[in-house]
Amino acid sequence: MVMSAPGPALPVLSTERLTVRFDGRAVLKDVSIEIPLGRVVSIIGPAGSGKTTLLRSFNRMNELIPGAKTAGTVHFQGVDLYDADIDQAEVRRRIGMVFQKATLFPKSVFDNVAFGLRAKGVEGDLHGLVEEALTVVGLWSGGAEVLDARALDLTAGEQRRLSIARALALKPDCLLLDEPTAALDPAASAKVESIIHALRHECTIVLATSDHTQAGRLSDLTAYLDSGRLMEYGATQELFTNPRNERTESYLTGRLP
Amino acid sequence: MGVAAALVTMSALILLTGVLLVEAREVLDWRFFLDPPSRVAAEGGVGPAVAGSLWLTFLVAAIAVPLGVGTAVYLAEYAPPTRLVKAVESVLTNLAGVPSVVYGIAGLALFVRGLGLGPSILAGALTLTALTVPLVVVNCRKALQAVPDEFRWAAFGLGASRWQVVRDQVLPAAAPALLAGCCAALLRAVGAAAPLLMLGAVSFTTFAPGSPNDPLTALPTQIFAWAARPREGFLALAAGASVALLLLMAAMHLVLFAHRRRQKGTWS
Repeated sequence: MVMSAPGPALPVLSTERLTVRFDGRAVLKDVSIEIPLGRVVSIIGPAGSGKTTLLRSFNRMNELIPGAKTAGTVHFQGVDLYDADIDQAEVRRRIGMVFQKATLFPKSVFDNVAFGLRAKGVEGDLHGLVEEALTVVGLWSGGAEVLDARALDLTAGEQRRLSIARALALKPDCLLLDEPTAALDPAASAKVESIIHALRHECTIVLATSDHTQAGRLSDLTAYLDSGRLMEYGATQELFTNPRNERTESYLTGRLP
Repeated sequence: MGVAAALVTMSALILLTGVLLVEAREVLDWRFFLDPPSRVAAEGGVGPAVAGSLWLTFLVAAIAVPLGVGTAVYLAEYAPPTRLVKAVESVLTNLAGVPSVVYGIAGLALFVRGLGLGPSILAGALTLTALTVPLVVVNCRKALQAVPDEFRWAAFGLGASRWQVVRDQVLPAAAPALLAGCCAALLRAVGAAAPLLMLGAVSFTTFAPGSPNDPLTALPTQIFAWAARPREGFLALAAGASVALLLLMAAMHLVLFAHRRRQKGTWS
């Protein structure tokens, strides 16, 4: 539940000296960060600073890219995620991910949301779980016709919300959101932001965003990444009003060359 | 520009079919498609050759498609990009470009003599399979690689295993292209005369092959045999057999077309 109490919270996700290379080129360098339980954490930084790579290292998505090499450790609830015995599929169920592009499956809305549940081997009628997930993102209004609608016929905003519902159906402990409002109009963005705001009670959220005002609106903590290095990390309010790092300040004030 | 090119291509096809039909006008009737060849040109038919080609198509499809698609799935979805895998891929690509007559020589040594199958339908089918598999692999690998990685990631991200990703997302998305790739490879096998001539295909048989052990006969070799005869009546038979071969290929295209229509618009 909500961690409203002040003071240091238990880290649910943490990296230590995490370095990720693609074909030898280091995209993340020595990143050590702790994501506290039940908080919303934003990762901001210029394009190519490693935001997505950091996000993807939290649920082992990077290794799907040929040539990716990970050094350092990532812990989830005290368990080394990169241990040889770890079931990757289970990791990705517990730590859900919403990608920058919705990439819905060319199937019905129902099939999109049910995909993860079926892959997990959940038996029986999935309607309850699917409708629950759709309710959270505001796509369920009680009418069965939405379940049969083709996912690709939805508007861009609805598609984004459906991709969030798809991840939520698995009831993850932690949700990774990569540019959740990229390429959406203001109204659709506002809807997605209100969903994220409501979700902070359900799970720990890490979001990568190139819109730092969004980080300001949504997150308890903000991390500033620059050229693969974690430059600054702290309470959002503090980081925005009183950045300790020169680069952070330049980025926030739009003076970064 | 594109329209002009399309018209030229279309008219070439229509011209070809027209010429064949005119040449074969005297022999084309139902009897022609069922009767065996005869010493008398006017009485000859392509019954055994049609049956032989159907046998070959069926056997090659039954072996080459699962083998080729399976290999392509392994190479595209499972194999790590090691040097060995890359070498296998380039060998297959090269094999796909080897002239079919070379497969005939290999088949003669390997299947007809080596395994002692003789010039049978089975020896022909195995030779054509050897020719078809690399093509199926190359075509299907391209089809699988055309599926954007985002789809795989989306499925992996929802906790799917690699096999679930392949079975539930990649294969359905690539299905039309996979089918087209397999058909293109099979069409090459069905139309190949050279390798079957090397194996010793017969062009004069009085009965249609009823099992894979029966003597090898097929439409392309029948066309060649008749066309090589000096007497005029046989040229009409060759044209008629060509029409039969085109009909067989058109039927395969029709299967492909019907499936494409069904799949249309399911994936973008």
